[in-house]
Amino acid sequence: MTATTTHPSGPPVAPEAPKPKKKKVKVRTTGQKPVVTGIWNTLAIGVALVMAFPIYWMILTTFKTNKDLIAQDPTFWPSSFSFDSYKTIFDDADFLPSLQNTLILTLGAVVLGLVVGFLAAVAVARFNFRGRSFFIVTMLVVQMVPLLAIIIPLFVVMNKAGLTGSLLGVILAYLVFTVPYVVWTLRSFIVNIPAELDEAAMVDGCTQWGAFFRVILPLTLPGLITTGVYSWIQAWNEFIVANTLISSGGDGSKTSMIWLTFYSTTPTRGADYGSQMAGGLLVSLPVIILFVFFQKKVSAGLTAGAVKG
Amino acid sequence: MSVTTNETVNRSEKSGPAPAGKPQRRGFFAAGQYIPYALLLPAIVVLVGVLAYPLFRLFDLAFQNVNRYAYLVNPSLSKYIGFEGFSKILGDHQFWEVVLRSIYFTAELVILSMVLSMLIALLLNRVSNWARVTVITVMMFVWAIPALVNGQVFRWLFSPNGGVVDYLAFLVTGDESWKHYDWFADPNVGLYVVGASVIIWGALPFLVLGLYAALTQVPAELTEAARLDGANAFQVFRHVTIPVIRPFLMISAALSFIWDFQVFAQIFSLRNTSPEPGYWTIGTYLYMNGIVRSRYSESSVISIVMILMMLAVLVFYIRQMLKIGANER
Repeated sequence: MTATTTHPSGPPVAPEAPKPKKKKVKVRTTGQKPVVTGIWNTLAIGVALVMAFPIYWMILTTFKTNKDLIAQDPTFWPSSFSFDSYKTIFDDADFLPSLQNTLILTLGAVVLGLVVGFLAAVAVARFNFRGRSFFIVTMLVVQMVPLLAIIIPLFVVMNKAGLTGSLLGVILAYLVFTVPYVVWTLRSFIVNIPAELDEAAMVDGCTQWGAFFRVILPLTLPGLITTGVYSWIQAWNEFIVANTLISSGGDGSKTSMIWLTFYSTTPTRGADYGSQMAGGLLVSLPVIILFVFFQKKVSAGLTAGAVKG
Repeated sequence: MSVTTNETVNRSEKSGPAPAGKPQRRGFFAAGQYIPYALLLPAIVVLVGVLAYPLFRLFDLAFQNVNRYAYLVNPSLSKYIGFEGFSKILGDHQFWEVVLRSIYFTAELVILSMVLSMLIALLLNRVSNWARVTVITVMMFVWAIPALVNGQVFRWLFSPNGGVVDYLAFLVTGDESWKHYDWFADPNVGLYVVGASVIIWGALPFLVLGLYAALTQVPAELTEAARLDGANAFQVFRHVTIPVIRPFLMISAALSFIWDFQVFAQIFSLRNTSPEPGYWTIGTYLYMNGIVRSRYSESSVISIVMILMMLAVLVFYIRQMLKIGANER
């Protein structure tokens, strides 16, 4: 151990490459032998490999040529890379319109959900009024109502209101899961902003709105991002409500998830796993990027409030 | 001095006829009695419109015979039939088959995913940093994949023609008969093996990362003290770790139950949008009956039964959440 501390510049790169004995600068807890740690590490990598394999296989499939795809024995590396699968997807007349629909839906649900939810969260966090705890509990309960269970009456009600087949109906339906989540999560953010802060701003000459935009909003921003990202993912991935409310309308508009789900239902496409996987990957890409980008926020968002997935 | 400043601010804000507020109301929102209700109004309108009324309609429909699209469009054709709908569904042996299957399937999923994620979280707690980062990165990617795509990918993995799992089984066992093995021919295999692996694969990231975060909260002094007192690894886990991570354990188990019980998307896409009756759990059954076959009243009954069955767990979950929420304030 003394040897490592005399070389704080880091491990040498080239010479020790072949069989490196574990030399940890880190202080080990009692009873953690390097050999045992090696075994656990191997096990962990095994877990990572098993978990990653479906994703690897999905990506690999998108690049395989038709010849590779129909081969008797699947290959673990394509004999040559082909982008035909992606071309098939972009040639599909429904792909881009459905992506656009999903984008509108998701943006609508997120923006409306944030606005409506933020207002309610401010009310709950900053005011003492009759029915406050009732409202908070309701928010929690509402999140737990299985959307699947009210899908039938939701369809019936939207059908009557003439909102089936329109994106607006779906956006409204999505508010059911975005608003309670936003309220519940933002509430704790706003509660933590002391009222003295905006008082101080106003004493210093801010107007009410000035205090709101300069003090409360910036301090709530991390919460808004967390809830926004989480609502985005929820709305983007949602299938059953969109499918019920839009497809039943009959004008053939779809969201990406609906498009993807029914893409493989014709026999020719059903056998073409290359383009199916390409479609799946393309449709999930916005979510994956968002997830990787806001990794910390997403996990914080999940634990901050009660969420259904 | 500060008192007088506060008062002047308050007075200048009081533009409306609102009376002097309670002492708790300070800062930006000092004025106006009706402000909280005005702020809540949009949320209430949305929730009542999209949730409360449909919930009312759910019970309304359950006592009617709206089992055709024509009845829905033209309400005068439908009529109230009392509990006839309930007795029909509850007397249907397929319904009970589905309920039983849902219970078995949910039990399998919750137990397996909780145990596996606990083991992986413990493993993460023990391994070197680079291994942990690798596993966590993979988990994040898996987490990001939408449920529908999960089902689609696993349909391909387990496909009898060109599916890689068949081939891997052949490579491992050397038995030629594994090639072109049809995992979906027997719904029991398809659901309890393939279906379960899709759902558990998708559920692991949240559980593992959550449990791992919870494990890092366990104070090292406590475990070391227990060690010094002669506790073995299992005893430390049982009597030190578990009590500390208990709140998250409870919530994640309840959430897993809630998600797994109403699972739909994964099975739906795994079976290429037309799951055979042998794959029907309560979520799929509801969809097939209500949306595909337009039997609105019957599926309302199923929805009500489903909500009732989840209620016990929901109440437990909500109580836990409220406890946590109460600590926050």
